[in-house]
Amino acid sequence: MDRVIFGDNQFYGINHMSEEKARALSERFADFRDVTAVLDVAYDCGVRGFMLNSNEWAKDIVDYMRSSKDRYDDVRLYPYIPYPHKYANAVAEKGIITTLIDVVLSDNSAKGAIGMIAKGGQTLIGRDVMKLMELLVDVEMKIFRGMDVEVVFLQNIVTDLLLGLGFVDVLAAFSAYIEEKYGAKGGFMTMNLPYCVEQLATGGVERPVVCAAINRSGYLMNPDVAEYEETLKQGGFRAVAMSIFASGGIRPKDAIDYVCTQENMAAVVFGASSRSHIEETMGLIERTFNGAVERT
Amino acid sequence: MTLRVGFVGMGRMGLAHYAILNTHPEVTPVALCDQSKQVLRILARKGEVATFTDVDRMLAEAPLDCLVISTPSDSHAELIAKALERGLHVFVEKPFCLLPDDGKRVLGLLDGKGLVNQVGYVNRFNDVFLEVKRLLDGKVIGPIDHFKFEMYGRTVTRDQTGGWRAEHAKGGGCMYEFASHCIDLVNYLVGPPERVTGTLLHSIVSEKVEDVVSSSLLYEGGCCGTVLVNWCDPTFRKPSNKVELLGERAKIVADKYSYRVYLEEERADLGMVKGWNTRYVTDIAQGVRFYLRGNEFSRQLDHFVDCIQGRAERNICSFRDGHETDRVIHEMFEDARGGVR
Repeated sequence: MDRVIFGDNQFYGINHMSEEKARALSERFADFRDVTAVLDVAYDCGVRGFMLNSNEWAKDIVDYMRSSKDRYDDVRLYPYIPYPHKYANAVAEKGIITTLIDVVLSDNSAKGAIGMIAKGGQTLIGRDVMKLMELLVDVEMKIFRGMDVEVVFLQNIVTDLLLGLGFVDVLAAFSAYIEEKYGAKGGFMTMNLPYCVEQLATGGVERPVVCAAINRSGYLMNPDVAEYEETLKQGGFRAVAMSIFASGGIRPKDAIDYVCTQENMAAVVFGASSRSHIEETMGLIERTFNGAVERT
Repeated sequence: MTLRVGFVGMGRMGLAHYAILNTHPEVTPVALCDQSKQVLRILARKGEVATFTDVDRMLAEAPLDCLVISTPSDSHAELIAKALERGLHVFVEKPFCLLPDDGKRVLGLLDGKGLVNQVGYVNRFNDVFLEVKRLLDGKVIGPIDHFKFEMYGRTVTRDQTGGWRAEHAKGGGCMYEFASHCIDLVNYLVGPPERVTGTLLHSIVSEKVEDVVSSSLLYEGGCCGTVLVNWCDPTFRKPSNKVELLGERAKIVADKYSYRVYLEEERADLGMVKGWNTRYVTDIAQGVRFYLRGNEFSRQLDHFVDCIQGRAERNICSFRDGHETDRVIHEMFEDARGGVR
């Protein structure tokens, strides 16, 4: 796994600290050429791992990397699936299960794979949670076909919902399926790192990759910083830190000092929009994170 | 004491409530009720909860202490009445009841029973709005002279006009489903208005219901304010609330992620200078026991449990609060008379 992974939230106008900043970001990246320009800078600064949500933008980004193969000859992707907003309205209208089944059935390759007509398929897929999960993963993973994928993360909204429902066996099956079908590692994003790690252990998932907000201010860390630090100390999993700057609420040096000195930290995800920020962050991580930006 | 909880309505909100309470150490979900057998089969695949498609059967057969209701709003009044009859504590999704008369009847059923009752106006549990409420309660801004509350989102888009959202009778429309959050926030932070005036209901994409609500709210003592809500604004990725409160001594401008306070005088005790003071959610947010969708969702349900267990002084969003919001909504409909324009 790469020790530094470049995040993608900034491209979609996501900022947890302020709606105004979020709006400014979406304006900054209205033109796709501005997105690729930032990706180029990140690559030039030594970033080799890129995290991408399975949405329309990611499709364009992956296409760009494919078409610039000479430039991006050593790239590893860390997709996180699904893109929840795609489903949000349909879920409110039709309910979650119907929405998921509709997604699978509207996908032609999935229809072929299970060899059934839409009507009978409804009940059949609905009966088999694991099959439904696999088909949904395939739908979301389509855009990354042919790329070097290192870890496939399950979005926190899904990980945490499944944890809440007590379906840790589905999480374990997800991990196994990613390994078997995509030759990558299954990972989990969560807003509840201590609980997630504990549950994955009871579910028999060995040394899982778990991605969570980890920052000094405790933002998006549930229940609190102390429990996160304790969980990190105990280990048994590989931690990937995101939201390290708490959307800009923490000074870069303080943020990286904190994250890089935690135990069992496998990788750090950061997003930035300018060359100076990318250079500064990479420099800080290199200096702090065991001295070198290397694959672990 | 471990609380045995039943859930009716396993749509998007019901599912979230179930997942959040399922991880609560003092709660055991024992029964789920929904019209979809498919949903029930999947949720109960571990065999740890009983499932029902008929709520009367669930209430008769499942041993419950409380009920979480997340069904379409037109069924709330009847379901609450049934639950209260059986002596259950009730959490109901917003809005409380569609008609104030139904709400009044339900409030009557509560009398003397000592049952905990809560409505799901989740903004009351948002980190920023909780802080704004504390500033108001602490008289930091003084009596409010004027306010402006806005809410925007892209809940309804141009290609989507069907379903229950398109019918008032089922609790659809921007007023019930969306603006109710904004109106409740006014009630929470400023208090219910004496009367409303100049209410405008406007349709943009929906055929039978309003997509825009605007209204002026008047108070005894001279305070006044406006609400402006639009649920089909494509420029908002998520529902967004904006609040502006102008008081005698200060002004507060807030959204779900930050707030700014303008003070006429320095407040060293609050760490605030004369002039503008900005605070971000990244600094003030408090973690929750288990996070799903946003910490306000966990916080409101944990508060419900705390109330039942006797750990909270009073409920932050009781049926009475929900009824007050229903009442303002009803007055706005009356004021706009003639319905959708």
